[in-house]
Amino acid sequence: MADASFLFGQFLGGLTTAMFLFLIASGLSLVFGVMRVLNFAHGSFYMIGAYLAWQVVQWLAPILHGFWLAALAAALGVALLGGLIERLLLRHIYGREEIYQLLLTYALVLILGDAAKALWGTHQLSVSRPPMLAGGIEAFGAILPAYNLFIMLIGAAIAVAGWLVLTRSPSGRMVRAAALDREMLGALGANVGALYTGMFVVSSFLAGLSGALVTPIQSIVPGMDVEIIVEAFIVVVIGGLGSFWGTFWGSVIYGQVLSFGILILPGFSLFSVFALMAVILIVRPWGLFGRPLR
Amino acid sequence: MMPQRLLAVIVAASLVPVAAAAQSTIKIGYPMPLSGPASVYGVPIVKGAEMAVQEINASGGVLGRKLELLTRDSKASADEAVRLARELIIKNSVDFLSGTLTSAEAPAVSTIAKENKIVFVAPTSKTIQLVSPANLHPYIFRLASNTDIDGRTGASIIAGWKEVKRVATIAPDYAYGRDAVGAFVDFIKKARPDIEIVDQQWPKLGQSDFTPFITAQMAKKPDAVFCDVFGGDFVTFAKQAAPLGYFKAIDNRLADGGEVGTTDAAQALGKDYPYGIWSDAYDPVIWPENEPAAHKTYIEHLKAFTKEKYASGWAIMGYASILALAEGIKKAGSTNSAKVAKAMLGLSFDTPIGKLTFNPKTHETEMGEFWGQMVKDDRYPFAIMKNPKYLSQGPFTD
Repeated sequence: MADASFLFGQFLGGLTTAMFLFLIASGLSLVFGVMRVLNFAHGSFYMIGAYLAWQVVQWLAPILHGFWLAALAAALGVALLGGLIERLLLRHIYGREEIYQLLLTYALVLILGDAAKALWGTHQLSVSRPPMLAGGIEAFGAILPAYNLFIMLIGAAIAVAGWLVLTRSPSGRMVRAAALDREMLGALGANVGALYTGMFVVSSFLAGLSGALVTPIQSIVPGMDVEIIVEAFIVVVIGGLGSFWGTFWGSVIYGQVLSFGILILPGFSLFSVFALMAVILIVRPWGLFGRPLR
Repeated sequence: MMPQRLLAVIVAASLVPVAAAAQSTIKIGYPMPLSGPASVYGVPIVKGAEMAVQEINASGGVLGRKLELLTRDSKASADEAVRLARELIIKNSVDFLSGTLTSAEAPAVSTIAKENKIVFVAPTSKTIQLVSPANLHPYIFRLASNTDIDGRTGASIIAGWKEVKRVATIAPDYAYGRDAVGAFVDFIKKARPDIEIVDQQWPKLGQSDFTPFITAQMAKKPDAVFCDVFGGDFVTFAKQAAPLGYFKAIDNRLADGGEVGTTDAAQALGKDYPYGIWSDAYDPVIWPENEPAAHKTYIEHLKAFTKEKYASGWAIMGYASILALAEGIKKAGSTNSAKVAKAMLGLSFDTPIGKLTFNPKTHETEMGEFWGQMVKDDRYPFAIMKNPKYLSQGPFTD
């Protein structure tokens, strides 16, 4: 029915969706895996990253087309914000029940949403594609926009870098140890507090970076925070909360199920993804790559 | 005994000015999304309503009384809008209701208006359900165009493209998108039996990645597309579709019935706007040729009022909703809702975009929209509508 180049194009489309979601969900999953904090405000960090990138682009506009600089500045800005929030707020609720985390991070969603509205208004904003990535590449009869390719490469790079750091570096060993037994690590003399702050800063950086990187292909609007956090949750549920590779494969599966799902059932674009999540929650509640919680 | 009586007098006296103040203004309750994604429209609509109230009050008010607008954030939720409408009626004793943005909020608030016998003017909700025979009651009035008009006017644009044979549709997957596309398909089949609908895509509202929808649609090789993706979603859609060669493949033959012909969407996209497509707008705002004088004055006022360089195309809906109520009150010579509701049947009133009349049968103005091709203009850093043409449902009604 459909020719090969079309199916390949559809596959690429799904892969773009996947890598884009992985950028966002990786930070969410990392914080949960190590700190056991389900950070609802992760989507808000992503939104703040997008607004900051837009703001810096506006400031730089008279001098240069500063998208890359803006993206970096936005990611660093959000990392700083994340660090402050961890030190001042999250720190106090680590030992407590999950409901406190949910209440606190959900409160942050509301506060940051209102702050963004106060600072940037309710207009839909957007940033132009960086000129060097404005074009497209043709592969096997399908067009792949250069910017989408770039997003895929960034996603793959973060996956590889994250894996290397977690498995091969001394700090990665600490992180894995903290994930397994926080108290024992503390008893052995490690500075767990600093480690947690560091993890949260890295996670916020990833959220801010992904928010900044989507501005050339998406509109920046109030509510983008809540929209994305739902999709990110689906991804981590499929892959397994807290599992790094699980998040990667969860994203890939989400992208491909969406992409090919709309071919089979065009009238039910959301159905396939939610159906998949429901099946996984029934069969393997801890996700494809997760570990069962005690 | 004496001190108590004195106290009673003092209390009574202190209540008098409050009661008098309540008498002196005509209160209009206005629930509208002011936060979340829908605030993109809610905020400019409220600005338009505020400006109308200010202008009317500056010229002496209505029946010698000033208007007072009580704006509330409905968060685009039907439940919240209903709660606010009830609160506005009971606690703030509003005389009238207007506002609400979506096709979820307006029908819900309409039931409250019916219960309390209070006139409700819905500025933007487009669902045909709002005033369908089952839901129509004496107090509901609709200013906006409806999904039938959206689909039909879009179809009349595409029907005019003689070389087009294969048409695709893409619209958000909820009542508004489904109804408008349904009306489009019905009409295009009547107008052009030679046209085939080759593909229909239904991304969700707030879709963050349209890529798979776009590639799937392109594979069906349509000649033209009827699109109802709007607002921030259209910005995202256009930015993702352009590098995939989507607009080029259909030679820019895309008609969007979701008001992306306004300055709001055009400004957001800037030079990334897919120049050459066709779209509609309640108010094109920028109107290079044959601009009506009343529109010019209105836009100048609006720019000063909102302190914006370019005005919003959505403000007109808030502005006209207040005009409609003010004219209804004037005609009735009373603020009694039953009398105003009667007066509004067949009421004609002037707006900056032309005369509107409430159809006494349907309680709608049957307002059309301005359609035109979106083109580059060196005077503006974004796309503008070339020769805005007013299309209403008139010639297409059965």
